[in-house]
Amino acid sequence: MIRFEDVSFHYPHTQASIEGLSFHIAKGEFVALIGANGAGKSTISRLCNGLLRPSAGRVLLDGEDTSQTPTSRLARKVGFLFQNPDRQICENTVREEIAFSMKAQGWDEQAIAGRVEEILAAFDLAGDWFPFERSRGERQRIALAGALACEPQLLILDEPTTGLDYRECIRIMDYVTALNRDKGVTVLMVSHDMELVQDYARRVLVLEGGKLLGDGDVKRVMKDEALLRSARVLPAQIPALALRLGEGFEDVYTIAEMAGAIQKRRAEASR
Amino acid sequence: MNLLSVMPGDSFLHRLNPVTKLAAAFLYGIGCILCDSIAMEVVFILLMLLISASAGLLPRALALTRRLLVLGLFMFVIQLLFVRTGAPLLSLGGVTLVTTGGLRSALLLSLRVVATMLPLMLFFAVTQMNDLCNALVKRLHLPYRYAFIITTAFRFVPLFSSEFAEIQDAQRARGVDFETKNLVRKVKLVAPLCVPLLVSSLKKVNSSAISAELRGFEMRGRESGYKEYPFGKNDALALALLVLMVALCAALL
Repeated sequence: MIRFEDVSFHYPHTQASIEGLSFHIAKGEFVALIGANGAGKSTISRLCNGLLRPSAGRVLLDGEDTSQTPTSRLARKVGFLFQNPDRQICENTVREEIAFSMKAQGWDEQAIAGRVEEILAAFDLAGDWFPFERSRGERQRIALAGALACEPQLLILDEPTTGLDYRECIRIMDYVTALNRDKGVTVLMVSHDMELVQDYARRVLVLEGGKLLGDGDVKRVMKDEALLRSARVLPAQIPALALRLGEGFEDVYTIAEMAGAIQKRRAEASR
Repeated sequence: MNLLSVMPGDSFLHRLNPVTKLAAAFLYGIGCILCDSIAMEVVFILLMLLISASAGLLPRALALTRRLLVLGLFMFVIQLLFVRTGAPLLSLGGVTLVTTGGLRSALLLSLRVVATMLPLMLFFAVTQMNDLCNALVKRLHLPYRYAFIITTAFRFVPLFSSEFAEIQDAQRARGVDFETKNLVRKVKLVAPLCVPLLVSSLKKVNSSAISAELRGFEMRGRESGYKEYPFGKNDALALALLVLMVALCAALL
């Protein structure tokens, strides 16, 4: 789906950059980008849809060089959810907001009308709401609905749940998971929330100072404390605790698994 | 490149009192407005580029000059077409298109725009807005509330500019193609972006106001800042030279 080939990028007048980055994300994967602030996570996400162009190397989207294609055309394949929905929302009603990207991409009126109603129902939104008067969580949901309206093949989420309460966070992530599972949409998620990464992503790319420190299965990465420490990232709490508890807790990643492992150990002790 | 951000340094220009820098920028501008010679306007632009180079600001000054020349070009065309004084210079089918007076006026005005604006724009490169605010309060005894309003207005310009760029990126990511040469279409595409910009600006202003209140904004006075902004010999020298320049320009009128 997307391939980085020895990609470097430098911001003018700052130290922040990425250097010689190469990786490949296949169709249908759910990948998380983790790292400390300034590690290059948002830069990578913006390189994927052409908002930034590499200083060296190539970013290929389905074999197409993103630096040769306008972002507006890449938008047909790539949906992008920004951390702050207020930068994305620009229409007076939710209905118009969802139709916005379809109009920009030249869909016909009939197809737009049908798709808008479908999206409103799926996201539990009312079409006549004034978006800016809704809660932060609802605005994020409106922004996600807008990003998904054109049925992108790659969905990029830039810290999608920052500032959301638990209920809205789960709601947003459940939509994304269903989309990934049922429709094979590739997901690339930037996040600082390790619990979220562990619960939803299947593969993790670990970044530090613009370089790729690690790349692997989420369970393996969450148990690799040395790797996470060198990326200045705290691991999710349950796998970190499991690591400290040692034998019998090797395959523990969730609260349910932790409870099961403790009960098993208790039962063994009382025998 | 953000053309209004501060570029730190320790040059003669950087070390001047912020009030001197502001006054100097205005005096230089007044001199350029009073001047009625095309050659002198060119000299003023070159002199300002030299002054910028002495403060390590030549790339910024050149970038600003390029942008201002675009504005100057716009003024040039208007003046060229509408000023009808002097002898005909270019005619088409019996209709005079350009006159000598029009050409002179167009050249003078477009160069004057560049020469006048350049020092004002470069002022932002060598002055921290906090320093300007404090110096206005301490040296000119301007009430803090008003100094704060002036400097905050300047400070918010680059913030809004970067916010607008982010909003534009968000819309580009949704499939909006801003790279059109059709001006009407471009306006139609950009106009809806005013809504998120306005919403985020109002939110920012509101939270900034609350934050200022919570930190005792009302209690600030002339004695609140620990940093002093004395006028030195360099300030006197700079101001004297600029007053002389304005006087010469006025005398040559």
